Amino acid sequence: MIERNGIVVDDTFAEAFPMKATRLVVTAHTMPWAMHAALAATGFATSVIACGCEAGIEAELAPEQTPDGRPGVALLFFAMSGKELAKQIERRVGQCVLTCPTTAVYAGLPDGEPIALAKNLRFFGDGWQIAKSIGGKRYWRVPVMDGEFVGEETTSVVKAVGGGNLLLLARDTDSALAGSEAAVLAMRRLPGVIMPFPGGVVRSGSKVGSKYAALTASTNHSFCPSLTSLVPDSALTPDIRCVMEIVIDGLTAAGVAAAMKAGIDAVVERGPQAGVLRISAGNYGGKLGPFLFHLKDLV
Amino acid sequence: VSGWRLTLKQPPALRVDLHGVLPSGLAALDAAAIARLPLEHGRETLALGDLFAVTPHGDDETLVLDGDCARFDCVGAGLVGGTLRVEGDVGDSLGLQMRGGTIVVEGSARDLAACEMAGGRIEVHGDVGDFAASTLPGSMDGMRGGALVVRGNAGDRLADRMRRGTVTVHGDAGDFMASRLVAGTLALGGRCGAHPGYGQRRGSIVFYGARPEVPPTFVPTAHEIGVFWGLLARDLQREGGAFAGLALRKPQRHVGDTSVAGKGEWLFVS
Repeated sequence: MIERNGIVVDDTFAEAFPMKATRLVVTAHTMPWAMHAALAATGFATSVIACGCEAGIEAELAPEQTPDGRPGVALLFFAMSGKELAKQIERRVGQCVLTCPTTAVYAGLPDGEPIALAKNLRFFGDGWQIAKSIGGKRYWRVPVMDGEFVGEETTSVVKAVGGGNLLLLARDTDSALAGSEAAVLAMRRLPGVIMPFPGGVVRSGSKVGSKYAALTASTNHSFCPSLTSLVPDSALTPDIRCVMEIVIDGLTAAGVAAAMKAGIDAVVERGPQAGVLRISAGNYGGKLGPFLFHLKDLV
Repeated sequence: VSGWRLTLKQPPALRVDLHGVLPSGLAALDAAAIARLPLEHGRETLALGDLFAVTPHGDDETLVLDGDCARFDCVGAGLVGGTLRVEGDVGDSLGLQMRGGTIVVEGSARDLAACEMAGGRIEVHGDVGDFAASTLPGSMDGMRGGALVVRGNAGDRLADRMRRGTVTVHGDAGDFMASRLVAGTLALGGRCGAHPGYGQRRGSIVFYGARPEVPPTFVPTAHEIGVFWGLLARDLQREGGAFAGLALRKPQRHVGDTSVAGKGEWLFVS
């Protein structure tokens, strides 16, 4: 146990696991339309437990940062396998980007295993689609009602890290939310990471397994304040009345560690008077994943 | 690996086929072995050293041909890597069926330059003759990939049956430019001769110089193509010269050749 600026940091670690990831760049005529597509494409992508993938908006891009000189958004998608990621990309880009007015989609990573991006979506063109190789990259131009949808043929998949996390233990809901918001804000400034849950925060942190055989995950009872006095392995004290978790997926382990550190720093800087009294992390005893992020190394 | 400079002693009396004289092949040889390489000259066989002085040139995989090589054909034919620089003119079939690497010709090239080229880059500072980036007789596909850059003018039948890749001509082009074009991109900075895009199937032609008369088998389209144009124009304007500032302009688009159910496009930029 370490104390920083009056806030207790548990001597524990976050346990993360390998995932497959890709970055897409979505551009549009204006930033709001790029954002519409981005929000739709990364919607219902909080956890691989039931969503198929985890996804989020990595950054907004100025026109000079995008391939076609229009405003855009960088998106990160994470899945447990390259095959599942390919399926999710095709569905999400096909239904949420291709459909969104004025958008175009490009691969955002220079290297990696290629999976289809517009390669299969091109068949929407019903034979009127056009392939175009420009600067060593292959694009598809699909006629649509506002002109044409342009998409890069493939996107690159790389090995990545999912499941980095922080647990913020607070004295009440207001302070837990405020601390979480500050941490997420600091984390979002960093490249290569996303916080896939709503607002970057999850209140239903889970453990592996359940008393019900059909469920693979269930509530993390050790961190539920309603169970503090009821379960033998509660991690909470009576002064902790609200816990929030921030889950981090990153393209690299170093990126996840940097995001966790940024989040911890943001909470520590606010001090205990802001209401977050302890910082902890979720793990499974080191059995789940090869990536262990010890909090003591990050403070 | 080392580079070599071949300095022409005097132009040969007859045409000489330089097939096989490539940077990668010569890099593994010493000067004496290079000088003994056989070259066909009419009915006799000459040693390369009879025509060229062989001297080392740097440490990378580079071959320099120094002198007027207008009587040497198939320079860089089948090139897969390395750099070949010609400090003068070359004959026919420059970079024939090359798949990679770079060829720079400081002078001009004759007919069939970049013919059936599949990869790499050829840059000709002067002019190229007829059938550049096109097919060998009887073949179905012309240029299949890579980039051909011509700083001067091109002859007739430029990019005939071209299927893939990019051709940029800073000057003018002759008759039947992009005839039977299958796909790929052709950008012209000057004017072209008669019947451009005859039988064009797909592919893009950018006219950044004089606008040719549009035949009745090409039809205008009015839709927004800013995204595609942003990608293409930014790429083309990297060649500079006649294509500087291309991305700042907006093109007018025509599609054809409808007489062959073609979906090719002409982009007029002024």
